Amino acid sequence: MTVMNEDILRVKGLVKHFFTRLGTVRAVDNVSFAIRRGETFGLVGESGSGKTTVAHTLVGIYKPTGGEAYFRDQSLGEDFSHRSKALKKNIRIVFQDPGSSLNPRWSIKQILELPLRIHRTSYGKNHVEAVSELLRMVELPPEEYLYKYPQAIGGGEKQMVAIARALATEPDFVALDEPTSALDVSIQAKIIKLLTRLQKKLDLTYLFITHDLSLMRNMANRVAIMYLGKIAEVAPTREFFQKPLHPYTNMLLSSIPVTSDEEEKLKPKQIRSTGEIPSPVNIPPGCSFHLRCPRCMDICSRLDPVMTEKEAGHWVRCHLYPAAGQ
Amino acid sequence: MRTQVPLLEIKNLHVQFKVFEGVLKVLNGVNIVIREKEKVGLVGETGCGKTTTIKSVLRILPSPQAKITGGQIFYRGRDILTMQPREIPGLRRGELSAIFQDPLASLNPVFTVGQQLGDILKHSMKHQGVKGISKKEIRSKAADLLRETGMPDPERILKTYPVQLSGGMRQRVCISEALRATVKLLLADEPTTNLDVTIQDQILRRLDDLVEERGTSILLISHSLGIVRDLTERVYIMYAGTIVETTRTRRLFENPLHPYTKALLKTIPKLTGKGLSEGIRGRIPNYLNPPQGCRFHPRCDSAMNICRKENPPGFSAGNDHVAACWLFRG
Repeated sequence: MTVMNEDILRVKGLVKHFFTRLGTVRAVDNVSFAIRRGETFGLVGESGSGKTTVAHTLVGIYKPTGGEAYFRDQSLGEDFSHRSKALKKNIRIVFQDPGSSLNPRWSIKQILELPLRIHRTSYGKNHVEAVSELLRMVELPPEEYLYKYPQAIGGGEKQMVAIARALATEPDFVALDEPTSALDVSIQAKIIKLLTRLQKKLDLTYLFITHDLSLMRNMANRVAIMYLGKIAEVAPTREFFQKPLHPYTNMLLSSIPVTSDEEEKLKPKQIRSTGEIPSPVNIPPGCSFHLRCPRCMDICSRLDPVMTEKEAGHWVRCHLYPAAGQ
Repeated sequence: MRTQVPLLEIKNLHVQFKVFEGVLKVLNGVNIVIREKEKVGLVGETGCGKTTTIKSVLRILPSPQAKITGGQIFYRGRDILTMQPREIPGLRRGELSAIFQDPLASLNPVFTVGQQLGDILKHSMKHQGVKGISKKEIRSKAADLLRETGMPDPERILKTYPVQLSGGMRQRVCISEALRATVKLLLADEPTTNLDVTIQDQILRRLDDLVEERGTSILLISHSLGIVRDLTERVYIMYAGTIVETTRTRRLFENPLHPYTKALLKTIPKLTGKGLSEGIRGRIPNYLNPPQGCRFHPRCDSAMNICRKENPPGFSAGNDHVAACWLFRG
């Protein structure tokens, strides 16, 4: 991939394996991408595809098993017990389920105070004004929410608090791990709007993870699709949805239930979903998708394809699209 | 058109839950009609009372907290709510059947799939008056049912325990239980919410084929309008314990009337990528103290004076299209 100066985050050959009693779970297996400053980079995939593990590794919850990852010029090769405070301040995460990511015994003021106390010590002891400012930023009136506990507020509001907590350290990069999957669509719309506004205002870069392709269409600048720990295709959003190349992308797109004929036309017709996702402990040889692939060829069960660039910025990892000169 | 007695008719159903803080007035006059061989959808957001509605039909509301305070539920003209308790299991084993969201919770973890399916088949056949079937026959029938749901290698699956199966496979087991021969009405409560989209697509297509083949009626409950659009002929939109709109599914997407339906449709992200709306302001009301009048009025942009005072009845807008909103008083 072209490495430009403006890349805020670079990942090269990232590997994260988990060693369990049942065998090695290859959650993330040789993943490379770069995220540009100010963009929203989308990561889609079904459960078990490794998208959350990628985010958790970048944020520092896990130490990568192999490969390299850089935030600007700082290495992300360690988990957060070995990372510098400045790095931890700059890379933050919003989790999927706000119900379990907020401490039920802490008031919202206490929850938002913690990152301030650690990373923005200039506030001294009076955090109330800073916390109120954060709440106003996520459009929650502070006088109403400051002393409430998480269980007293709705799911959408909890997620807004979680966003405020992530932004409390004034980060440059935020990983959004399915931030709206646990919420209803009417609340989801609100949160997404808020995130887009905040991105513009605070010059944030997002890694946006979701399994909802329709949502991804409306949120990301570029999209990468993952299958069993590997990226299958990366493209600018418009191109990804209008000219999907990889059979898995086509299968996923054809499976989405949509609400208008206009959208129905965008769904690939010639492909139907079959089979189940294999276990990441026991990944099929060759291309990991070949067992479900309707366009499977001989070579697919033997050789794992490599990423090739079909058009500027549109990369695909499939034997149907061999690299030039191969 | 079809004039015979509807298969299921829910009339003005009210359900309340008693909790420590007081009484939650959840269902507030729900009316649903399902005719024979009809595919009906019920859509609404979390906490609007979809599951409470089908639990009332199956009479599995948690007792003593939940109380049906009004209304009737007719199955083939007989009121389920006044049936003797001993008649209910017969109904549930016979013509009514349900699939729930979490298949792991509806399957027994300590019995094999074969044992559970076999038991259900045995009771279901007993209910029909068929007796003296051999274990072998039941087993082969169970395997047939599994095969029909698109399960690979059903003989092996019969010997496994639910935990050994993937989410999609478990849901296939539940569907095969629910689609035994005697079933006339299937209540499917978010059957694919826990599954990945590619698996969801497979299961829903299979379910649709089976329902079509057997002429079973289905009430499909979902929070996803997309799924309901694909699978049903008629749809009910539910908000805070009331049905706000009902019409033929196609028509709902072409011409939604109720302000809530319109707002809901706008908030769904589109594959064509035209951005998102701002969402619906406020949130679902507290059932301890639901708003007076129309339950949607505090969030409605076209709320009038009457909306704050009186609950709107269903106003017909022609063509089987009913909207419970004062805007359509006519």
